[in-house]
Amino acid sequence: MHCFYLINAIPFAYALIVPLLYKKFNAKIHTGWFVLVVPLLVFLHLLTYIPPVAKGKIISFTLPWIPSYDINFTAYIDGLSLVFSLIIAGIGLLVTFYSIYYLSKQKEALHNFYIYLLLFMGSMLGLVFADNIYVLYVFWEITSITSFLLIAYWFEREKSRSGAQKSLLITIFGGLAMLSGFILLSLITGTHSIREMIVQAGMIQSHPLFIPSMLLVLLGAFTKSAQFPFSTWLPDAMEAPTPVSAYLHSATMVKAGIYLVARCTTIFGGVPEWFWLVSGTGLFTLLYGSINAVRQTDLKALLAYSTVGQLGLIMGLLGLGSAALYFDVVGEGVLYAIAVFAAIFHLVNHATFKGCLFMVIGIIDLETGTRDIKKLGGLLQLMPLSFLPALIGSFAMAGLPPFNGFLSKEMFFTAVLNASKMSIFHMGTWGNILALVAWVASVFTFVYCMIILLRTFGGRPKGYKLKKSHITPIAILIPPFILAALVIIIFFYPNALAKYLLQPAWQAVLPTKITLQQIEINAWHGLNVEFLMTIGVVVAGAFLYKTLERLYSIYRYYPKMLTLNNIYEFLLEKMEAVSLAITRRYMTGFVRDYLVYILGFVVLMIGGTAFLSGGISLSLSGDAPINFYELGLLVAMICSALTVLLARSRLTAVIAVGALGLLIAFLFVLFRAPDLALTQLVVETITTALFLLCFYHLPKLKKENSTIQFKAVNVLVSVGVGVVTTMLALSVRGNSLFKTISGFYENAYELAGAKNIVNAILVDFRGFDTMLEILVLSIAGLGVYALIKIHLVGRRENEANK
Amino acid sequence: MNNWVVLPIVMPVISGMIMVIFKNNIWLHRFLSLLTLGLIGIVSVLLLEQIETGGIQTLYLGGWQAPFGITLVADMFAVLLVLVGAVVTFCCLCYAFSSIEKDRERHYFYSLCLFLIAGVNGSFLTGDIFNLFVCFEVMLVASYVLISIGGTRIQLRESFKYILINMLSSTLFLVAIAYLYSLMGTLNLAHLSVRVADVGQGGVIAAVALLFLIVFSIKAGLFLFFWLPGSYGAAPTAIAAIFASLLTKVGIYAIIRLFSLVFYHEPAFTHQFIGILAGVTMVLGAMGAVAYWDIKRIITYNVVVGIGFILAGFASFTLVGMRGSMYYLLHDMIIKALIILLGGTIIHLTGTGRLRNMSGLIHLHPRLGWMFFIAALSLAGVPPLSGFPGKVFITAGTFEAGYFWLGGIGLFTSLLVLYSIMKIFMSVFWGYTNLAKDNEKGTAKGLLPSMAFLTVLTIALGLGVEGIHSYVDLAVEGLLNPQAYIGAVLGSGGY
Repeated sequence: MHCFYLINAIPFAYALIVPLLYKKFNAKIHTGWFVLVVPLLVFLHLLTYIPPVAKGKIISFTLPWIPSYDINFTAYIDGLSLVFSLIIAGIGLLVTFYSIYYLSKQKEALHNFYIYLLLFMGSMLGLVFADNIYVLYVFWEITSITSFLLIAYWFEREKSRSGAQKSLLITIFGGLAMLSGFILLSLITGTHSIREMIVQAGMIQSHPLFIPSMLLVLLGAFTKSAQFPFSTWLPDAMEAPTPVSAYLHSATMVKAGIYLVARCTTIFGGVPEWFWLVSGTGLFTLLYGSINAVRQTDLKALLAYSTVGQLGLIMGLLGLGSAALYFDVVGEGVLYAIAVFAAIFHLVNHATFKGCLFMVIGIIDLETGTRDIKKLGGLLQLMPLSFLPALIGSFAMAGLPPFNGFLSKEMFFTAVLNASKMSIFHMGTWGNILALVAWVASVFTFVYCMIILLRTFGGRPKGYKLKKSHITPIAILIPPFILAALVIIIFFYPNALAKYLLQPAWQAVLPTKITLQQIEINAWHGLNVEFLMTIGVVVAGAFLYKTLERLYSIYRYYPKMLTLNNIYEFLLEKMEAVSLAITRRYMTGFVRDYLVYILGFVVLMIGGTAFLSGGISLSLSGDAPINFYELGLLVAMICSALTVLLARSRLTAVIAVGALGLLIAFLFVLFRAPDLALTQLVVETITTALFLLCFYHLPKLKKENSTIQFKAVNVLVSVGVGVVTTMLALSVRGNSLFKTISGFYENAYELAGAKNIVNAILVDFRGFDTMLEILVLSIAGLGVYALIKIHLVGRRENEANK
Repeated sequence: MNNWVVLPIVMPVISGMIMVIFKNNIWLHRFLSLLTLGLIGIVSVLLLEQIETGGIQTLYLGGWQAPFGITLVADMFAVLLVLVGAVVTFCCLCYAFSSIEKDRERHYFYSLCLFLIAGVNGSFLTGDIFNLFVCFEVMLVASYVLISIGGTRIQLRESFKYILINMLSSTLFLVAIAYLYSLMGTLNLAHLSVRVADVGQGGVIAAVALLFLIVFSIKAGLFLFFWLPGSYGAAPTAIAAIFASLLTKVGIYAIIRLFSLVFYHEPAFTHQFIGILAGVTMVLGAMGAVAYWDIKRIITYNVVVGIGFILAGFASFTLVGMRGSMYYLLHDMIIKALIILLGGTIIHLTGTGRLRNMSGLIHLHPRLGWMFFIAALSLAGVPPLSGFPGKVFITAGTFEAGYFWLGGIGLFTSLLVLYSIMKIFMSVFWGYTNLAKDNEKGTAKGLLPSMAFLTVLTIALGLGVEGIHSYVDLAVEGLLNPQAYIGAVLGSGGY
């Protein structure tokens, strides 16, 4: 057993003992300190994989789970999973540290928090390492569930609950779509391993189920990574404690969709559908997210929309980069492949600067008690230390030097410009639109970055007072400072990062067709179009920021009805209302309706089948002729049956039923079955007598006041059932195909020593049936007894609505 | 010949009768009922081993050779259901010890439960279609009594509908048997299979097959489930749990048995029809589940969804799909019992079933809350719990058979299931608590262990699929391969 498994299992195992630690030590030591060990160990262990992976080695482990169905924990460590796992463990470490100061050990249910967090961490690691599609799905769903629990961590709040529910519904919906996409893929390829699917990529792309499976997998990725229009869950997820927002909802979980798209690029990429769907959705989401971020007044909501936008950016880059797979050889392909590199680079950068910003805003929230930019301002004087990471984070996000965001933003422009000149996939004029969208979105990104920074720290302090000088200890600033330092370090030494992490990841996304050369990242590459675009962004952004009030007034024109949130609410409400209406419509609670449904169904289906399949064949040739007595009995039976229907009093009806039974007994006599006739006579007499006894106590039969329609349906169904049953009985009689087994019983005397065959069948050949029928009678007897004798307290009460 | 086969039917009958004699000794009732169920469990485990090594086990009752006498047939499929049924009933009875009123207990509650089990086990184990009818009767009459015992107003109202509709379906069942006997001249399932294979399944035989399907659909709650939500809601919690866990499954079992052993020749007609019914059932059930804000209704409509989903896998009639149905069937027996017990406990504690009147229960009952959460996830087939393998395989099976719409409906309704059941969790357990410990309507004391056991079971079955896969696979192979069944019953020569 390799220690990799231990490392991967630690978060789960640790989650089990957290409640114990909490119980025992929390009074003295914050539970977070114990938890800190987990991400630290994982992170350190993962670091050891960097050198081999950087050399192009791929490491894989397999631990059996359900080997019989080829579902195993196959971990697959390549550049891509390594980058993700390092982010998961690294940010996890910082966030855990941050949470120790963020969440009070006196007031909060810390054990819950850390259990969820550890479960999330474990499954997120499992997700990025999993090679088996079903295992990937398992971890995928656990991340959705733990995210749900973490969003609703403060479950007393109505908003937390609805936010959690929304994220659960949307991400699980996507998960199910992804699962069905995976199932299709496994049907196409006959394997559950992503690696083996990649080998068969060509075959998959020519399969008729290719497009459906692609759409379904993308649905999973888009919902998880909050792409438009599924992005609506992410802003609501901000109800979670800030460490959670920083960790799950900006750095890791929301990037699971990105991971999936990157992983599947080789399977699906290289076709126009994938290219346009991924890049189109991504870039539109970028535009949508950044435009909407500007209008937010809650800082966390602003960051949520900015995350939506940034995720869109990365997604868009992956889409653009997939064009590289269209080409077989080195050359034009590499031109587009750069987009994938940019995507991975920006992913890392985003984790650093966004994590940093979230943490700072969490501190602001703690210190001032608000996140509303209308109430904030002038914090520079009050919280000078927090200003520094805020500055670095927001400038990096805005894409300014000397911060890492600048580098990836430039590469993004390069990728978009490359793509806009592309000759394939009907690019045409769309190319320029792509570039324009990228530029406009960047302008808005710049604007909201300035809002984050200047509306909080700039200006004069507003009417609030900081409760004490500082409620949070200075140590809470350590994680954001580390991230801020990373932002700057990456700017100055991007190529080290590229060599050891980005390049292998890049190679992992595009493994088969293209040989990728070393990429050199330079902050300055002359006065090219990309740089001019950046200058344009700054100028236009600064102008827009100056006229922010006017900008806000434009937003107000957008109808509230059409926000994604409202559409979601509307759909949910409508779903419940329509379901209720439909259910109420047919579940009337009247047994008569239910009988009509059932019998109507019988008539239609059985009658229909018998008729269509030519099953109805009325050959009476084999039947005995009907003589006078039988005919007479038949007429009498019909008459008494009609009497039952038309009788005005119960008494008449019961007597008519009795008469009907006696007439049947006569039929038995005519057909020389005296024992049956005798039984029938006894039963009929007793039941009629019982009926009469009971009815004596009942009120008079009221005249039915029912509509013609009601009666017509009754008549129709009754006649239908009668006709179908009779027709079928007659056809069955005419179609007997085999000799019955009853011949066997004729030797009853020899076999069972019984002179009466019927008796022998009842008590010997099929004695078990008889025994059970006796049981039925005894149960019925017990039931009647119990029903009469039992006297529950509050018997009249309606149990369901007690 | 293997006399073990009859024990799961006979043992509960005998114990039940003993209890009738010693009517007032409730402790004896409790002890005997648990003992009997435990023994059934042990017998079925032994049978599982015997079947795994020695193939399908049969018993010719009274020594009368098939097809003339009644044959009991224990194949993997049947015995797995017997086993899980015994385990679940065991838990439900333990729950009943602390939740059923003394008066109900004294009026043969445990006897009736055992009689019900006898009927259920008989239905699973019989190889004779008329005997199946008789076992159904045992089970149904016991259920009529159990549902009406106590005689509260809602019980009497709903049990009337329940009895009437089941009477109707029994009548149709009898008519269908008469038709079939008239056509085929035999009642033994294996013999029927041989004879139907001889003449094909066209014409009037198709109509008769469909009539059987309708009969069992009423019993199973497939499409014709109108009787189900009301009557299950009216019964006491423990009884409703047994019903939801077992009774509908017997109908499902009958459909699967008949349409894999006897009427399997025209899957394009019969199985596609089952698929359509399953799809409609899932949609209607899910609609009912999301429509209401009442615990009992939400849960009973979820029972309906599960029925459709199980049969969706069977309708695909592929190895993978049937395997999925098998896993899901076993899972569904456990999880439906569990969720009904949990729901009943909530109602017991709060005195209401309306979600809008509840809040914050997790402060007082964290264990109950987390069990409910796990059960809710399992119900929706969220991995790695027991619903997951079934869900994956059923979906894969329907896709493989080309019924993409059916698999899609299955997955989408599982989302609605999750929504409906999370609605309960969020309203009942989350939020500010509006209930102090002392103004609760009841206590959860004694109720938790049985639910905890079922919760553990649903986790273990999910993680430990590898442990049971050989049994499940044998069961599915048996269903896809009627010759094995026929050979075991009629001898290799056949008739």
